[in-house]
Amino acid sequence: MTRSFRCLLVATALAAGCGQPAADPAKKTEPTKQAEPAKQAEPAKTEPAKTEPAKTEPAAPPTPTPPAVSTGACDEKQAKLSAEADARAQPYGIVQHLEKNFPDMKVSWLMKETPYQNFVVKTAAKNFGRCDDSGCYLFAAPTAVIEDAVKKSMTGDKHDAAVLGKALGLPAKNFEGPLRMMTLDLRATNSCVRLPVDSDPGVWKCQSAEDKDCFKFGGYTSGGVPEVMVLNAPVDKAEVKEIP
Amino acid sequence: MSAEQVLYQSPLMYRVLREASGALVLEAVVGGIAMYSVRVRLDEREAAAYASEGAAFSDRLAKAIMADPSFGGRAYEV
Repeated sequence: MTRSFRCLLVATALAAGCGQPAADPAKKTEPTKQAEPAKQAEPAKTEPAKTEPAKTEPAAPPTPTPPAVSTGACDEKQAKLSAEADARAQPYGIVQHLEKNFPDMKVSWLMKETPYQNFVVKTAAKNFGRCDDSGCYLFAAPTAVIEDAVKKSMTGDKHDAAVLGKALGLPAKNFEGPLRMMTLDLRATNSCVRLPVDSDPGVWKCQSAEDKDCFKFGGYTSGGVPEVMVLNAPVDKAEVKEIP
Repeated sequence: MSAEQVLYQSPLMYRVLREASGALVLEAVVGGIAMYSVRVRLDEREAAAYASEGAAFSDRLAKAIMADPSFGGRAYEV
């Protein structure tokens, strides 16, 4: 570029009211950026008048981002058990299990009416599950799975134990008579959750591949329903529904 | 009036009962995501062990029932 041509350019720029030195390459690129549509939507910060497009074209409501799953507040013992379970389940683990099967962090489980009365109501239990000095241990499944199974099993105003058993991969006799369905929002309780392990209270180890009402390690019941171990599930935070 | 008496109620979700006949029964909640209860009538040896050891024995018996809800065919559903 010749000197006379550069002078001509400067003169042209000044004549056009441009206060920026034309010789500065970095500044030269700015007008191009400001012309980008994305930039035009932002001027609200510097030029309020240009924010009006937001009024005529309301921004879509922000897509709610569900909070990430959480294993809750686990004490030292449960954290250690969970780490051991995750190591055994590699490359799977409780976080992947929650993300895959419990994205809304809602869990449910069923109890026959008689044990519910004898072991929850009459005892005024504070937590669900089998309790020892280290806590109360409860097996739970995704609420959506239990809800769907119960819904399918309803014939009139009563549930069909055979249908419910088939849907949950468990013997029908486990569901005969009136039931209670408990639901807990783990986000509200922050209860510790982990993969169930063989040493958990209430575990009945499967003796053969055909066994359908027993414990298999890995986060799924022998009937293929996702399950987690919930520690200290508070009774007063649970929704309890009668299943006639 | 109840025909049975609760002798011990455990936080492990089992209880020891004395039936009207005088026999001792252990009722335990079994199962995982679907819980129900079964009962096992204690034999003489077990009743004697409970009499001497109390909850230490019934804890072991209850865990054994939870780990095998049919308990070798001795358990019956409530």
